Amino acid sequence: MNSLVLLNGSPRGERSNSMKMLARVAEGWQRGGGQAPEMLHLARRSGFDRAVEAFAESDAVLLGMPLYTDAMPGVVKLYIEAIAPRVEVAAAGGRNPTIGFLVQSGFPEALHSRPVERYLEKLARRLGSAYAGTIVRGAGESIHMMPDEANKRLWAHLRTLGEQLAQNGRFGEAELKAVAGNERFSAPASALLSVVCRLSAVQFMWNPQFKKNGVWKNRFAAPYGPAIRAGR
Amino acid sequence: MRITILNGDPDPVSAFQQYVQQVAGRLADSGHTVTTLNLRDLDLKGCSGCFGCWLKTPGECLKRDDSAQVCRAVINSSLTVFASPVVMGFTTALLKRATDQMIPLIHPYFIIQGGEVHHRARYANYPAFGLLLGAESDCDAEDIEITTALWRRTARNLKFRSVFTAVADRSAWEVADELARVA
Repeated sequence: MNSLVLLNGSPRGERSNSMKMLARVAEGWQRGGGQAPEMLHLARRSGFDRAVEAFAESDAVLLGMPLYTDAMPGVVKLYIEAIAPRVEVAAAGGRNPTIGFLVQSGFPEALHSRPVERYLEKLARRLGSAYAGTIVRGAGESIHMMPDEANKRLWAHLRTLGEQLAQNGRFGEAELKAVAGNERFSAPASALLSVVCRLSAVQFMWNPQFKKNGVWKNRFAAPYGPAIRAGR
Repeated sequence: MRITILNGDPDPVSAFQQYVQQVAGRLADSGHTVTTLNLRDLDLKGCSGCFGCWLKTPGECLKRDDSAQVCRAVINSSLTVFASPVVMGFTTALLKRATDQMIPLIHPYFIIQGGEVHHRARYANYPAFGLLLGAESDCDAEDIEITTALWRRTARNLKFRSVFTAVADRSAWEVADELARVA
């Protein structure tokens, strides 16, 4: 396999965690002998339009996205609707590229992304595309907060996956499992977390930002109806 | 009972659009207060992942568009019906864009729910969740199953009370009456 196009489906565009992850897969792809990939942002009009054309021209497409309300972001579904004519092309004997996906979510467990993985696998079948697999990764929101050193193992997994895509046309099962990390918490761990989550101090991702933005006292605001009482 | 119908059909003259109107009419005739929002007519700028609705103006999107109207209608209903044809194996991009802008309805804090990490509720009451799907010609049973499974996850994370799914392959009256029982 030779040409790859990377589609960044994050509404945040260039500054997204999805983009950072796709860039590492691209490095592995080149290390595995593939040409330098084209990178397009679906959140930009020009990137979106080019991505529709590029689908027909590439050997392989890797579509990366953050999980938005437990599924693909709206702009990714819009892209999928825009390439709908490719279903008929494939049915008439035409060729569609090999397609792989990357789904990252802010939740720490991989399980949240499994239902959309099932959809994406079916999408590949619908398009008559060879399915390279779906890279699933939890705790994606922490990527931009961590020093690069802390992300090193993640980057190594993503490079390996890119290399596998270039050489075998698909991601290796063992590597997909490794990159996914924690699938779900064990019962004792979730019981412990359940207690710990009630401590406001644990919400370390959010509290400093509430304070910085001057909305600490207003953080439970409920502008459209009665608020839930605290502690629930 | 207050019922909000979010219609994600981009086509104003489709058979599914007519079906949704029939469902809404039947619900109104049965004495419910029905608000139908045809999403194609609203100005929805989409979520750009800025988290402003969580961290800068808690509970409200920073974008000045009609998403506040959608959120208000959802949270003040006993039942919200997400209606959409199934296109390329899932509900429309139009419905998904509107849903992406519903995260101000929940709070960023993490909680454990059913052994999984989810977000904390913001409101005291959330509606029941109805999913009304129009099966297009290229849609099979697996697509309906995958679509339903995805929306069950969304409903759980957005704190909807319960989930009811229907496919528009039966009479609109029958489906409306079932929806009314959920509300």
